[in-house]
Amino acid sequence: MQENYLAKWLSDELSEEELQEFQNSEAYASYQKLKDATSSLKAPDFNSEKALQRLKDEHIENAPKVISLNPFKKFLRVAAVIAILLAGSYFYVNTLNEKVTTEFAERSEVVLPDNSEIFLNVDSQISYSEKNWDNKRNIDLKGEAFFKVAKGKKFTVSTDHGTVAVLGTQFNVENRKGFFEVTCYEGLVSVTHNNKESKLPAGTSFLVINGKIISTGTPDGTLPSWMNNESSFESIPLKYVFAELERQFNVKVSSENIDTNLLFTGSFNNTDLNMALKSISTPSQTHYKIDGDNVLFYAGNTLQ
Amino acid sequence: MSNVCEDHIFSKVFKTHSKTVFNYIFYKFGNEEKAHDAVQEAFVKLWQNCAKVSPEKAKSYVYTVANNLYLNVIKAEKVRLKHANSLSNDRTNESPEFLMEEKEYKVKLDNALNALPENQRTTFLLNRIDGKKYTEIAEIEGVSVKAIEKRMHLALKSLREEIDGI
Repeated sequence: MQENYLAKWLSDELSEEELQEFQNSEAYASYQKLKDATSSLKAPDFNSEKALQRLKDEHIENAPKVISLNPFKKFLRVAAVIAILLAGSYFYVNTLNEKVTTEFAERSEVVLPDNSEIFLNVDSQISYSEKNWDNKRNIDLKGEAFFKVAKGKKFTVSTDHGTVAVLGTQFNVENRKGFFEVTCYEGLVSVTHNNKESKLPAGTSFLVINGKIISTGTPDGTLPSWMNNESSFESIPLKYVFAELERQFNVKVSSENIDTNLLFTGSFNNTDLNMALKSISTPSQTHYKIDGDNVLFYAGNTLQ
Repeated sequence: MSNVCEDHIFSKVFKTHSKTVFNYIFYKFGNEEKAHDAVQEAFVKLWQNCAKVSPEKAKSYVYTVANNLYLNVIKAEKVRLKHANSLSNDRTNESPEFLMEEKEYKVKLDNALNALPENQRTTFLLNRIDGKKYTEIAEIEGVSVKAIEKRMHLALKSLREEIDGI
């Protein structure tokens, strides 16, 4: 008898002899009965028309219902935009520069991430990137500040007059309207002004007034005088002295019949306005009047 | 080029094969509800992919989808088949004893069918109830004709042994 002969028997594929042999076997009657019984079996009812209708109703005809999911897609779109905005603003806020600003008659001290120190004189502003500090030590400066820079990578101070680059030292930068002065107190400072680099060893200054480089004498002491509450000037036009006076005391200074380009050498105290006014008026041979927050300087021969 | 996306072709494919898909899943798992769902799911998939499936491939496509749907998901329940009354109808003077034996035989047959391995039962019933040729079943199941013959042979053998209590 061949392999799977029962299957062959069911599909009428047995040869005459094989069929004969099988019919003579003991089990044949049982198999014949099985064949008969199973031929009358039925599966549960299945109405293919109904099933097709259901399919069309629920899945095909109502396909536009899929489109009704669009509000969710819109919501997703809005959510994506919000997510991007949030992520973007988070990133922006994170990279936003740290900013320290002082007003008139106000000073401040800033300690940078690498323990470098910055002392901000009145009416000044610095900004730097705290996140990126380790990669790039750069300070944007408006106004005047004294720097004590910790040793490390190149440290730069960017101003609209030029750039000051150092490795580790103490120096003062004053960057005012028409006035740019860098004084090195320790180490070596490199100043780039109008694309020209100047090296400043300790105890020297670099001064630019109205775009003109002016040679200066050696600064006194190891700190800028303003750190000791004094503003010192050496051959500086009076108008810058007045401007400094306005900043230090938050007053309004005006002058009458005075040539404010006259050079002034001297200093004034930053804590006592009367003392400061005397310190300016005496060497410059001028007179002054105080009216509230207003100070008027006038020449000795001006009629009042 | 005829395309399954065309409504009349899709309907034709559905009418030709949905009943067998239904039975196929039912023989496998014995769950009528799941068999109905399988038909729906399989043909929805066919509709969604009608551009990619040629009418010739549509048949094996729906069987594959239906089969994959419940792979390892549902446990086989008892396959409850209907027994046509032809046996008792075409005979008149039947003894109560004969009727009793017939009834007993049907119960035994049901139990024996349920005791079969799922692939043997599915193959056997597709042949006996749906009249599918071995080649066609081989196509549905994705195996060789020889494997189907083996299943048929083993199914018959097991059924007889189960019923005769060998």
